[in-house]
Amino acid sequence: MPGKWDWLKDEIGLSNLLTGGRMLFKVIQGKLSVDDLTKCALCPNMCRHACPVSIVEGRETTSPAGKARVALMIREGRLKLDPDNLEPLYTCLGCDLCTLYCPFEFSVADFIRPVKEEAVSKGVVFEEFREVFENLETSGDVYGKADSGADGSGIVLYFRGCTVRNERPELAEKTVEFLRKLGYDVFTVKETCCGLPAYNLGNTELFKKTARKAADKLNATGAELIVTSCPSCAYTFRVLYPKYGIKLKPQVLHITELIGEVITGLKLSSEGTVTYHNPCKLAIHLGEKELLRSLLESVEGLEIREPRRELFCCGHGGSALSRLKPELAEEIAAERREQLKDGATRVVTACPSCELALNGDGLEVVDIVEFLLEMMKK
Amino acid sequence: MTLTFDEVLKRPKRDGSDKAIAELKSILGDRASTKPADLFSYSHDYWLITFHWLLKGKVPALPDAVVFPESEEDVVAAVRVAHEHGVPIYPYGGGSGVLGAAVPEYGGIVIDLKCLRDLRLYDDDLMVEAGAGVNGYYIEEYLNRKGYTLGHFPQSLYPSTVGGWVATKAIGQFSTKYGGIEDMVLGLRAAIPPGKLIELKPHPRTATGPDLRKFFVGSEGIFGIVTKVWLKVRPYPEERYLLSFASESLEDALDSVRRILRRGARPAVVRIYDRVETKRHFYKFEEMYGKIGTVMIVEGDSRLAKAEKETVEEEFRGTPTGEEPVRHWLETRFNVKEISEFAPVGVVIDTIEVAVNWNGAMNLYENVIRAMKSVKGTLMASAHASHFYDQGVCFYFTFAGVPPKGRSAEEFYNEVWDAAMRATLESGGTISHHHGIGRHRKRWLPEELGDAYEVLRKIKLAIDEKDVMNPGNMVV
Ligand SMILES: Cc1cc2nc3c(=O)[nH]c(=O)nc-3n(C[C@H](O)[C@H](O)[C@H](O)COP(=O)(O)OP(=O)(O)OC[C@H]3O[C@@H](n4cnc5c(N)ncnc54)[C@H](O)[C@@H]3O)c2cc1C
Ligand code: SF4
Ligand code: SF4
Repeated sequence: MPGKWDWLKDEIGLSNLLTGGRMLFKVIQGKLSVDDLTKCALCPNMCRHACPVSIVEGRETTSPAGKARVALMIREGRLKLDPDNLEPLYTCLGCDLCTLYCPFEFSVADFIRPVKEEAVSKGVVFEEFREVFENLETSGDVYGKADSGADGSGIVLYFRGCTVRNERPELAEKTVEFLRKLGYDVFTVKETCCGLPAYNLGNTELFKKTARKAADKLNATGAELIVTSCPSCAYTFRVLYPKYGIKLKPQVLHITELIGEVITGLKLSSEGTVTYHNPCKLAIHLGEKELLRSLLESVEGLEIREPRRELFCCGHGGSALSRLKPELAEEIAAERREQLKDGATRVVTACPSCELALNGDGLEVVDIVEFLLEMMKK
Repeated sequence: MTLTFDEVLKRPKRDGSDKAIAELKSILGDRASTKPADLFSYSHDYWLITFHWLLKGKVPALPDAVVFPESEEDVVAAVRVAHEHGVPIYPYGGGSGVLGAAVPEYGGIVIDLKCLRDLRLYDDDLMVEAGAGVNGYYIEEYLNRKGYTLGHFPQSLYPSTVGGWVATKAIGQFSTKYGGIEDMVLGLRAAIPPGKLIELKPHPRTATGPDLRKFFVGSEGIFGIVTKVWLKVRPYPEERYLLSFASESLEDALDSVRRILRRGARPAVVRIYDRVETKRHFYKFEEMYGKIGTVMIVEGDSRLAKAEKETVEEEFRGTPTGEEPVRHWLETRFNVKEISEFAPVGVVIDTIEVAVNWNGAMNLYENVIRAMKSVKGTLMASAHASHFYDQGVCFYFTFAGVPPKGRSAEEFYNEVWDAAMRATLESGGTISHHHGIGRHRKRWLPEELGDAYEVLRKIKLAIDEKDVMNPGNMVV
C-alpha cells in the first residue's frame, strides 16, 4: 500500500523537495515538528461546537483556538501576564470535550496550564482562587471546613470528597448504605482534599503538597480499595497521582465502576423514563463513555432516552469558571438542562457537582446511587 | 496593513471612536470590551496569509472595541451608534471566512453575533428560525433530534455560524441535492444604518419586487447585520447509499455526473478528485490509486433514493469501488490540519474555489493548474470538483509552495492567487463559487462584474451612506 505522503513526493519530485520543499519534506518525515500551542493557535476552531463555553458565551477570546492564541501571545511576551489576559485562559471547564473532536487530540486545558503555572508562581492570582488555595492550606478542604469525621478502618474505603461532605452529606450516608447492601463493609476516614482544585487553577506545587498529604493518610489506613462518589477524585487518584509520582497503594474505583461489576446480579427493575447526564470526568478522563448508560440499561422496564447531546459539561467543571464567572457557569448549566429535557425530565448522573449544578428548573436530577438504592429498597 | 501588535495598540483611535465606545459601554455594559486580549482575538478571521503575519508578530488590524450583543435591539443600537459617530462596524460570526472579510481593517467596532442563538422549528412548514449566531453543528444536531436536517454541511460546520453562512453565501458538502444556503433562506431580519431593523418575511414564495432576501445573501456585512434567518429544513433521510468509482480520466468522471444530473437524479454528495488528490485522500484504496476517484452519497425517501442510485450506477463511467472509500471520506472530512502543520515552517498553502459551465470545465481545470504551477515557488497544485449543477461544476483548487529567495510569503501568495484568478477569468469561469470576496479577492471583482461593479458600489452607499458597514470589504 502506498504511504500517506507518497502523493506529495510523486507530485513535487525529489529535486524540488531538496531545494524549495526541504522544509515540507522534513515535516512529512517527522523531523520538524511544530509545538502544540502554535498548532492549535492556527486551527480554525474545529472543536468549537463541542466546547460548552464557546456554545454559550460565544466569544473568540475564550474559544479553544482563541485560548491557544492568547496563551501563545503571553508566552511570546506580546500580551502581558496580567489578570485581564489570564481571564480567558481560566474561562475553561477542563472538560476536554475539545479533545474529542480535535484532529490532533489536543487538550486545550493541558497546554495552557504552563501559562497558569507561571502566573501562580509570579503571584498573579485571582482573589477567588486565593481563597481556594488558603482553604486547602489551612483546612485541607476546598470549602475551608476541615472534615470533622472520625477515622475508621477496614478493606474498602469510601472517599466522600469535598463536594459530597459539604454540599450533599445525605448522599454520603446513602452511598454507605448502598455499599453495605452490596456486601461491602465500607469505612470512612477524616479526609483531606485530593488536590484537584489546586491543579485546575494552575497551582501545581500546592496540588502536589495536598496530594501527598491525602495519599499518606489513605495509604496508612491499609485499605485495599477506595471507592469515590466523585469521578474527579477517582481521576485525580488514578491518573494525576501517578503522573506526578505520588504513590497511592489502594486500587481506586469510581462508584459506577464498582456498580458495573455487580449490577447484573442485582436484577433491578423500575418503570418510567429517564435520561442521563454523563459526567465529563467519568466519560472522558476515566474513559467510561458507555458505563452510566449501560448501568441504566441493566434495569428492567426502564425507558432510557438519550439527551440531545451525549456529552456537555454541567458548567461547574474545572474549578475556575464557577468561581470567576458564576453567571456563565449557570448559563451553561441552563443550556445543558435544555439538552437533557429533549430526553426526559428525570435525569440520572454520577457526579455530585453535576447533580448540584443541574437540579431544578423542571429537571429532577438524581445520583445513580440514590436512584438504584430507591429501587433496591422497593 | 501589517503592523505589530504593539504598534496597532498604540495607534490613535479614529475620530468619534471614544464617544462611540463610551455610548456602547453605557448600553451594553461589560458586553462591550476594550481589553487587549479581546482586541487581539478579533484582529483576524481565517484568511490564511494573516497567520503567516501572526507568526511574525504582526496583526492585520485591531478593532477599538468588541461588542457582544444578546438581542436584536442590542445589534440595532450598535449600528446606530456606529452610524451616528461615523465609526466602522464589522460583523463577526465564527471567523472561519478565508478571505479577510471580517478583518477590522480601519479599526472601530467588531460586533460578535454568537450570542444571538435562539432556535425554533416549525414542523408543518418545514422551516427553522435561527438567530444569526447559532453554531453550525448545533443547529444540525437540534434538527436531527426532531427528525429533520438542514442538509447544509460546509467543512466549517463546527466553527461557523448561520449568519456567517448567509453573509458569505456558503455551501455544504451535500449541496448537489440540498443546494447552497441561498436555496434554504426563506426570510431574514437585518439591522441596517442608520439603526433600523428590517424584516423580509418567510413566505414560500413572494413576488413583491426584486428579491431583497437574496440581496443579503453573500453581502458579507457591507449592507447590514443579519440578526435572524428562517431556513428550509428537510425530513431526515430515510435511506442512504454510499457509492464510489475509479475512472480513467477526469473527463469521464465529470461527464458521468453531467449525464446523471441531466436525467434528474440528485446525489447529495458528489466529489471527484483529480489524480493527485485521489492519491492524497485515498492512498489506502489500491483500486483508486493513480486513477480519478469519485465518492457519492445518494439519500432521501427510500424509493426515490433507490431510483437515483440506479441512475448513478447506469450512467457512471468507472469501476465501482464500493462503500469503504465513502466511509473513509465521512470519517475524515472534518480533519483540518494543514495550516497548523505547515504554516509555521514557512510553507504557504491555500485553497481557491471557482465555478464554470460544463462546456469549459476541463479547459478551466487545466489552465488554472498550469497557471498556479507556473509561479516560482509553487510545489504542488491540485483540485477536486465538489458541487454540481445542471449547467456546470465547482472546482476547488489547493496549492502549496515556499516563497523563492527574495520574495515574502505574501508576495508569493498573491502571485499564485493572481495567476489562478486570471486563468479562471480567461477560461470563462467565475472567480468565486462559495468563499466569497472579502478583502483578499476584491481586487479581481471589478473585472468579474464589469459595469455591474459600479451598481454594487452604489447600492452599498445608498444603504450605508457613511460607509460604516465593514468598510474596505468587497467593494472599494
Ligand atoms: C476549514 C474550513 C472549511 C471551510 N469550508 C467551507 C465550505 O465547505 N463551504 C463554504 O461555503 N465555506 C467554507 N469555509 C469558509 C467559511 O467557513 C464560510 O464562509 C462561513 O460561511 C463563514 O461563516 P462564519 O460564521 O465563520 O463567518 P465569519 O468568518 O465570521 O464572517 C464572514 C463574513 O460574513 C460577515 N458576517 C458574519 N456574520 C454576519 C451577520 N450575521 N450579518 C452580516 N454579516 C455577517 C462578516 O463580516 C464577514 O464579512 C471554510 C472555512 C474553513 C476555515
Ligand atoms: S476543556 Fe472544555 S471548556 Fe476548555 S476549551 Fe476544551 S471544551 Fe472548552
Ligand atoms: S483543540 Fe484541536 S480542534 Fe480544537 S482548536 Fe485546538 S487544534 Fe483545533
